[in-house]
Amino acid sequence: MDAKMVTFGETSLDKLLQWLRSSGEPKDIKDVLQQYLLILSRSVTEDSE
Amino acid sequence: MTVASFQGSPSQQELADEVYRLMTTQGSLFAIDAPIRQSLDNLADYLAGKYQRGRDEIAADIDAALQANEGIFAREETERGVLYVTSRQGAYVPRSDADTHSFRQRLHEPENPLPIDDISVVVSTSRPAITTVEPVFISDYWQVQAGMAPLHLVPSIDALGQMSTAPAAPVAAEDVAAAPELVIAEPEPVAAEPVAEPDLVIAEPEPVIAEPEPVIAEPEPVVAEPEPVVAEPEPVIAEPEPVVAEPEPVVAKPEPVVAKPPRQIPSDRNTVITLAEGLSIDLRRPIADILAEQGERLEQILSERIDQDPLRRIVSFGRSYYPEASVVNLGKNDLRKIRDYILERNEPLSDTEIIADLYYHNPRQADYEGFRFSLNYRLHREKDFEFVGVEGARLWSTKGLPAISGKRVKAAEMGQITSYLVEGYDNSLEGQSAESISKSGTLTRLLTFFEWEYGVLPFDASITALVPTPMLPDQRSAMLRFESPQHYTSYLVEVRYPTGNRGGWLQGLEEFFREHLVPGAMITIARGSEPNLFTISYEEAAETEDRLLTLDEKKNKFSFANLTYFCAVDADQVPSQSRYGKLKNLKSLPMGERRKSEVVLEHIIEVMGEQVGSRSEPRYSISMDDLLLSYNVLRPGSRNLLEHLLENGEAFSADEANAGRYTFTPPQSEGGASADEPEDSGEGEDLQPARRRFGRYTDDDE
Repeated sequence: MDAKMVTFGETSLDKLLQWLRSSGEPKDIKDVLQQYLLILSRSVTEDSE
Repeated sequence: MTVASFQGSPSQQELADEVYRLMTTQGSLFAIDAPIRQSLDNLADYLAGKYQRGRDEIAADIDAALQANEGIFAREETERGVLYVTSRQGAYVPRSDADTHSFRQRLHEPENPLPIDDISVVVSTSRPAITTVEPVFISDYWQVQAGMAPLHLVPSIDALGQMSTAPAAPVAAEDVAAAPELVIAEPEPVAAEPVAEPDLVIAEPEPVIAEPEPVIAEPEPVVAEPEPVVAEPEPVIAEPEPVVAEPEPVVAKPEPVVAKPPRQIPSDRNTVITLAEGLSIDLRRPIADILAEQGERLEQILSERIDQDPLRRIVSFGRSYYPEASVVNLGKNDLRKIRDYILERNEPLSDTEIIADLYYHNPRQADYEGFRFSLNYRLHREKDFEFVGVEGARLWSTKGLPAISGKRVKAAEMGQITSYLVEGYDNSLEGQSAESISKSGTLTRLLTFFEWEYGVLPFDASITALVPTPMLPDQRSAMLRFESPQHYTSYLVEVRYPTGNRGGWLQGLEEFFREHLVPGAMITIARGSEPNLFTISYEEAAETEDRLLTLDEKKNKFSFANLTYFCAVDADQVPSQSRYGKLKNLKSLPMGERRKSEVVLEHIIEVMGEQVGSRSEPRYSISMDDLLLSYNVLRPGSRNLLEHLLENGEAFSADEANAGRYTFTPPQSEGGASADEPEDSGEGEDLQPARRRFGRYTDDDE
């Protein structure tokens, strides 16, 4: 995915939701942000392979 | 099995039947499909004796009869002679060891897998009561489906697409074992180099740096477990760390590691996200660096965006975030039960107390944190409940609980009285910096008369540095527990946080102040073991008796009374009769009047100041120290506030002859009151204030 297509806070929010569900417990916003950046980073970089 | 079941002539059938019974009797305790072997020699010896016939003759008959029934008797020629094999179920069929019904295989590599949207469907999210680190194997198939597996192990992206509808052949155990050959076959120029030493595997930095996040960030410990690495060689390729721990497989097969192509991002690909707030994030950079530079701002933006999600898929309480679908619902009965319990305990209760006492949930239960979040989230949305906790101690109050400080102090009035703090006239950090307070966790301050009388402490910068900040953006107050180690008592203290142009304060210490302290005492407040726990102490001293200022609430008058105290005080700040005798002339203004800082200031100076003018043109002079102490009898105020009022008030001026003193010239009353006064009044006489600015209290002046 090209970074231009990414809207911070909207793109891949479903994946963030999946991660939250799978973790099974509430997460601090710091951890949520870290995971969200990881998801976005994957979305941008993995497509390029 | 009967005689008729056997083949051959009648005599052969009878003979075969007898041999079969002999052999099955011999193997009566065998498994039904176990082979029962007997040699032709033994059979001939036994039957020759039984029928009194020649051994060779009967051996030939047996051999012929059993060969006629080769479907039941298998003939084996061995070194020990001819053996016949049969079983209790008839013909012996060798047992097959082929595993064609493997549950493990069907579970991990189903023939017709369903598409999955959520890895939590596959991996259990429940946690055991006692956390144990146990390896959990998830096949590559599911990892690929969930986007968890390293894609480079799969032959191609196209193969991934097929795997959702076709049998998982590309990632079957046999194929995975063959994966190195596939990688070797790739025409990589790097593979041509004779680099096969295992230390190069460790030295190769790209895989380690390029993909550290999946290992750290993924909540499932599956990827980090070393066991699958031993069983299957491909995790060694994907994760260089286990290679260091167990170098043997790498030494045996170094080629795949060398041949692994580093993940490359085309230089022309745009990886920079530009936010509407003006921030730019380059996703090519390590996430730790991004968080270090822009973490706080991004947290704020992300939380705003999550809150704006129209589907409300993720909800929050404080800094905690949780899927809305996972939030446990609380019905009306639950809410009523919680409210009744708080009222029964007669004080705000923590969420953990509510959960333990009403729901009997144990913190070791897997869903404890989720339930705790649900409770806090639901209560926060209910108007009958108010959050009065801090981070680390989430307390809930409800309608009907008694006010902490009674009705002597009204919130609206105190908010306006302490508004000078949010207006910038706060000099509470002159003696102790915010950093030192925050770091040491202790604060020492002087107790003024107003604080002593009403049990309140202004929420100034020094208090701000000590107590926790509001956990929620719309939080008005928090409940703290102040313990007195000197008297083994504890007090519930309410923090009213500043809001808008209104100041904040702490209330609830009236009993402690009035029982153990006097105005002018030095108190020390220190953080306790819990976020909402504090200690309050003072320096003890020898018994002292003095006539100190008190407020007679029934008469609404100040007066001096004999008080005995045992605490160390700042003698200059003690409102004693010997030094501040005029204080008894102060009016106990209603709180509504005390909000007006200028009015209070004029009244203070008129009562406490020295008359330096004439009867017709009164002027009053007062020192800043006396003014500050007197001002804090009626309401809290800082030196900065008083200086601001004195410098900007038209009727006030600095006394040029006496540094540190200020003069106040009351405006002339309308109608020229002084003109009606006889002119022969002696100047310098100790006159009463000529102007009665507080009409309804005029009768109480004397």
